Amino acid sequence: MIQLTQETKSGWCVVGVSGRADSEAADELEGALRAALELHAKVAANLAALEYISSAGLRAVIQAARAAQAKNAEFAVCSLSAAVQRVFDMSGMHHIMRIHGELPC
Amino acid sequence: MLSMLEEVVLLAVDEKNGHLRSTREFGTAYALVGALFFDLALARKNDTDTETVHVIDTTPTGNATLDRILVEMARRAEITTVRDWIEELFLRRQDLEGEGLASLIERGVLRHEVSKLLWIIDVERFPMIDKKRQQHVKLRLAQTILSDDIPETRDIMLVSIAEPCGLLGYVLSSSELENRKPRIDMLCNLETISRTVSAAILNLDTSLRQSMTKVV
Repeated sequence: MIQLTQETKSGWCVVGVSGRADSEAADELEGALRAALELHAKVAANLAALEYISSAGLRAVIQAARAAQAKNAEFAVCSLSAAVQRVFDMSGMHHIMRIHGELPC
Repeated sequence: MLSMLEEVVLLAVDEKNGHLRSTREFGTAYALVGALFFDLALARKNDTDTETVHVIDTTPTGNATLDRILVEMARRAEITTVRDWIEELFLRRQDLEGEGLASLIERGVLRHEVSKLLWIIDVERFPMIDKKRQQHVKLRLAQTILSDDIPETRDIMLVSIAEPCGLLGYVLSSSELENRKPRIDMLCNLETISRTVSAAILNLDTSLRQSMTKVV
């Protein structure tokens, strides 16, 4: 299960992601991030409470970053748990998107 | 839309004469198994994490090759890692390249011709009926590699399977490939499946070199 929240802070739209980002949740995650990008120029995905991310979940985040690039919006992922950080590190996600230790706002 | 397996096999066909460029080497066989896993992921039938692969939906896709593998994966629940599945399918592989070619013929992309070499040896060729399909795959590969934009999921997968098959040299010049090597490596590293395929090929190469050294 995945839980998604949204709040605005200092010009950033922060999408809070908690639970599991797997194939079952990937569409919902990508949809939430894309919807935020439709309305805001700066979007941060707060992954502090994300316990698990699979390849399908990673693809969802990559495609959200792609959508941000296409509309020149700022997109960042933040506050990764150790388990999720390991997955991002193995995949070299820092090459294609901004990864912050803390929220940028 | 062509499957990942069909797209990779189509890339291996020489557009001028219909000959297969692939030599059916072990590296290609591993990469084609990887293409199957990507096709199953795109059909939302499996999912992977850094090590394991899970079947998430066993309903048939309608593609005979994919459905055969899907049934096998559902039956063999004791095999859980991407690495073990790739090795298992590699060892018990059927002619995935042949299945890809048959499917492309059925779709009207290629036709099959057999001629005789020295009146004895059968020589197979697969001339293109629809050249646009291969041109489209090549164009996507070139754009994905030469651009700095974040690619679509399918295009990331395509690069990461075409690379270990040695097929990128038929799409871009050697200087372009050299210049864009960091980009290609980055794309190949994004997916667990392609990382595992590359590791399997590297292991096999090392084993072959070691056995050759022992023989010498």
